[in-house]
Amino acid sequence: MDMEIEALLRPPARTMAPYPAKVITLATGRRMVVREVDRKDVPALLKAVRPTLKIPRDYYDIVGARLFAELLGWYRYRVRDHYCIVGQVDGYLVGIVNGRMYTGEIGMSYHTLAIERGLRIGAHLFAAKMEHHLEYLGQEEVWITAESPIGFRRWMIEYGLELKEGMQHELGGAGFYALTKDIWNRAKPRLCVGDRPVAKELMAKAQAEIKIADEDAIMEQILGAKRRQLK
Amino acid sequence: MRKVAIIGVGMIPFGRRDEDSLVDMLAYAALNAMDDAGLGERPIDAVYVGNMGAGLFNHQSAVASALVDRLNLLPAAADTVENGPASGGSAIKNGVLAVASGHFDLVLVAGGEKMREVIGPRATDIVATMTHPQAEYIYGATLPTMAGLFTRLYMKEYGVTSEHLARVAIKNHRNGLLNPYAHIHALITMEGILTSPHAIVNNPIVADPIRLYDCCPVSDGAAACLLCPAEMAREFGKPAIVVAGFGQATDTHTLQEREDPTDLKAVRIAAQQAFETAQLKPKDIDVAELHDAFTILEIAESEHAGFFKKGEGAKALDEGQTEIGGKLPINPSGGLKARGHPLGATGVAQVVELVWQLRGEAGERQVKGAEKGFSLNFGGFGNNVVSFVLRRE
Amino acid sequence: MSELVACKCTNCGFVNYPKHHRCLNCRAREFEQITPSGEATLLTYSEVCTLPWGIDERCRMLGIVQFENKVKAMGRLRVDKPRLGMKLKPSWEPVRVIGGEEVLGLTLRPAK
Repeated sequence: MDMEIEALLRPPARTMAPYPAKVITLATGRRMVVREVDRKDVPALLKAVRPTLKIPRDYYDIVGARLFAELLGWYRYRVRDHYCIVGQVDGYLVGIVNGRMYTGEIGMSYHTLAIERGLRIGAHLFAAKMEHHLEYLGQEEVWITAESPIGFRRWMIEYGLELKEGMQHELGGAGFYALTKDIWNRAKPRLCVGDRPVAKELMAKAQAEIKIADEDAIMEQILGAKRRQLK
Repeated sequence: MRKVAIIGVGMIPFGRRDEDSLVDMLAYAALNAMDDAGLGERPIDAVYVGNMGAGLFNHQSAVASALVDRLNLLPAAADTVENGPASGGSAIKNGVLAVASGHFDLVLVAGGEKMREVIGPRATDIVATMTHPQAEYIYGATLPTMAGLFTRLYMKEYGVTSEHLARVAIKNHRNGLLNPYAHIHALITMEGILTSPHAIVNNPIVADPIRLYDCCPVSDGAAACLLCPAEMAREFGKPAIVVAGFGQATDTHTLQEREDPTDLKAVRIAAQQAFETAQLKPKDIDVAELHDAFTILEIAESEHAGFFKKGEGAKALDEGQTEIGGKLPINPSGGLKARGHPLGATGVAQVVELVWQLRGEAGERQVKGAEKGFSLNFGGFGNNVVSFVLRRE
Repeated sequence: MSELVACKCTNCGFVNYPKHHRCLNCRAREFEQITPSGEATLLTYSEVCTLPWGIDERCRMLGIVQFENKVKAMGRLRVDKPRLGMKLKPSWEPVRVIGGEEVLGLTLRPAK
């Protein structure tokens, strides 16, 4: 690679504070480790995101396609000040959230993808990234848009976000909303949970490998397509 | 009136079934029931379909007429029966009366609903159309609202706790794992849904004190059964399961006008009628399928139907009496909580489960030696209730 | 509170709300129209957090009250800390938009 040209194409790197991992007990009693991942983890994540491109249900295809692009862009040094946080149960990837620092003060929330459904994993991970923007990255507000009605309901109404008129979120789309520190402080007690630090063994298992279920299993988890043989 | 037997049952897995239309689902369930009976070329005389919301969820009406066409059961008589979440129970009741009267011999009853064609808040609104338009609906009252208002008083009066409610959900999820037709296959724990500080996100308030895991899911699905006069049952291959008795009763539309807001009067009367006509008592029952649209209802119905004294349903739950291996197994299928609740299908699915249980065909969730079963289908918020007692002959 | 109209049976005096064509108590068909009067006592309540399509609030408090003249009704509670048995005073305010029109309904606040 011609590093001189590459230097022209890469965004300047900002030092971003890390997200301290936490562990959450899910409704099933299983423990989900929520931790920030590195650029080097992207190829594994892309394996999990790729099957969603074939699922139009619940807007998985558009969220998956855009998330795929953002992660690949990050991996190839073409997205600025980006982070990615994942949820893992027994090492298996169950959800991904990402975003970036738009400015020092403003966070740009990108996507939330739940691979395991029905356990509020999306809700937990979305809260984790809001926590990251406002408590660890030191920002003042986060800009959020929704691609699906589920997203709109979960975030705009659940958090009580502030509508931002006359402006454009990076993801385009319809109007967008902001999570301010004020709103966050009021919403946090009922929407953001987790225990820190993560027990050493649990953390080591999560860090050792991001296990990805095979494509059929991922499709099944998202579509709930089991038991079709019983017609 | 003639004795009526159920000689074929069938259902399809409940859940989210984007690829199947409502009438398709009803047809699959009906074909399963017809095959189960070994119907062959015998003509079906009448079809009753239990369905609450096809007009609102699916922009479709005259569902029974459509089903008869789709299955080519022409020129059978056909009616769609609507009784909210008790549409299935009411459809079976109509089918039973049709056979008992002597006018029809072979009657197919199917129940189905396709709720997930609309998004969540719209489904909530459609279900809420059961409430009183001027006195309840305008306030944004939903069925969970009614459950919340009821549960607050039930907790105060009878000492039922959030833990009791969680225990119902945990039991029914565990049972649901043994049911290949169940919508939800997930083991949940007390820690995960109640005692952990993280439960506030896992199990949020829906209508305080009712939480997410106190509510059944929104499901698509269908179930069906084939009825005939008991004396005809021996023509078919399976053991005859007879509808020994049934009952139906109503109560006030609004919750505020109930004489005693913690009294499920319609449940009491419907169950009493079912037992009287069957000439049986609650203690004779080996297995029950109750309507746990909300976990509180399993406890409350178990008392009002006469299985436990009022205020002691929670104690029986604590003692494990209502587990599959207990004294009175309740909802071995997983109940509405785990099996799912496609509104019009549920009443029929409850009877299908009882038939499987009484035939000894319930697989891993089999209640040993079950010979007499009881079902309760709760319409509205308890203002129209249908109940059956089935026995193996 | 003239907007909420209840029906007092002229035969047995039972107060019906909402309207029935035959008295819930004695099945007679003649009624005197009355409106709720006096303080309202809170019989039960629930904070509803999964609201139907058309209502974009996160949560809303609903309850059932009984007025001194025996009218029982559901209403929206504008109360921070509801308690069973507390005394409330009624008003008639917008509660929902249905078919593009604002609909008014019983709204209750602490009596003190």
